[in-house]
Amino acid sequence: MSRVAISVLAFVVGLPRLAAIGFLIAYRKVVSPLYGPVCRFYPSCSAYALEAVTVHGFVRGVWFASRRLVRCNPWNDGGVDHVPAGSRVFPDGKTPSIVVLNHPVIPADDESRPAA
Amino acid sequence: MDFFETILAPFRWLVSWIMFMFHEGFTFLGMDPASGWTWVLSIVGLVVVIRAALIPVFVKQIKAQRGMQALQPDLRKLQQKYKGKTDQLSRQAMTQEQMALYKKHGTNPFAACLPILIQMPFFFALFTVLNGISRASEEGTEIGALSPESVRQFDDATIFGAPLSSTFLGSFGANWNASVVILSVIMIIAMTASQFITQKQIMAKNMSEEAMQSPFMRQQKIMLYILPLVFGIGGINFPIGVLVYWTTTNIWTMAQQFYVIRRMPTPGSPAAKAFAERRAKKGLPTVQLLGERKTEPAIEAVPEPRGQRVQPRKKRKKR
Repeated sequence: MSRVAISVLAFVVGLPRLAAIGFLIAYRKVVSPLYGPVCRFYPSCSAYALEAVTVHGFVRGVWFASRRLVRCNPWNDGGVDHVPAGSRVFPDGKTPSIVVLNHPVIPADDESRPAA
Repeated sequence: MDFFETILAPFRWLVSWIMFMFHEGFTFLGMDPASGWTWVLSIVGLVVVIRAALIPVFVKQIKAQRGMQALQPDLRKLQQKYKGKTDQLSRQAMTQEQMALYKKHGTNPFAACLPILIQMPFFFALFTVLNGISRASEEGTEIGALSPESVRQFDDATIFGAPLSSTFLGSFGANWNASVVILSVIMIIAMTASQFITQKQIMAKNMSEEAMQSPFMRQQKIMLYILPLVFGIGGINFPIGVLVYWTTTNIWTMAQQFYVIRRMPTPGSPAAKAFAERRAKKGLPTVQLLGERKTEPAIEAVPEPRGQRVQPRKKRKKR
């Protein structure tokens, strides 16, 4: 009984995070493509928010995302700005795709093909 | 429309207030408040204030442009590196490296358009003030900080017998006014000429060889011939007051460009060569130009994800 209660509680506590993730994914699928890449940062603000909420949970994630939105102003030169590392550990091969996409492995320069 | 008006209102107030202050100042100096020349000078004063206030914006814009030019070689290298890699992860990696590159050069294509956007409301407000004088005078209303009396005075003011609020097209037929037509034509020519000279100067003297060969150049050439057309069409429709503003601001742009070409030319352009020669003749040391690539050996700056654990690559699913 208590086991069921705990898992139900965990689910309810995790709901805001899931809702936020759902909202962000929908935004990135529907709204973002409308005006193309316009962010002065990498990852873009919505990708940042999605990763933050995925990795840090709802409260901290939303906090990080709002701080990023404030940083995204005309007086900021932009650049690469990653989500701070979180404590959440994902099982091998189950890393959420947004985390993978936001941290691409940069190939070394000597891998580049000779100029054609 | 209402929403638009609400945004524009404070700008319009500011613009008309500056003009009003200049008018008061010139009147105080002993000029006739009802004279067209006092109002023309007020418009000129307004242009000077606005353009002077926009100088920092202009400098920022130049910096952004120079930065974009300076990073072109690096950008091409990057495109070469990711050539043919079209999977999502590679695209992401390329975007990240590109952003790091922009940051390194202190520029960003998404930041470069801001200076242009900032100017828009001012110019639009100014235009609506000058263009709306006639109607406001008829209706006896105020415009921004201009009282109904000032508006009427402005509307009645003339230079060389041409009312400031009359247009080229409105001066034919029954209310034929030769001086409006002649003045409009002169100002359209002045406007076009200053614009043309500015563009020609930039293209002939202040572009690096690299930029000369870019597709951007073709666009510039088209602009060179389209803008006079725009001035021509706009010029016959707009009142003399707007034309005064437009001509003055174009002449300001020309002077500003002359200064830039002489004192801070684009690296790698003929103007930069002339600048270096002038300095050498005077025995002055060479200086680093704005947006010039530093000659020190470039350190390979592969952006390391700072303080971030390396994410494992997504494994291919077995089919």
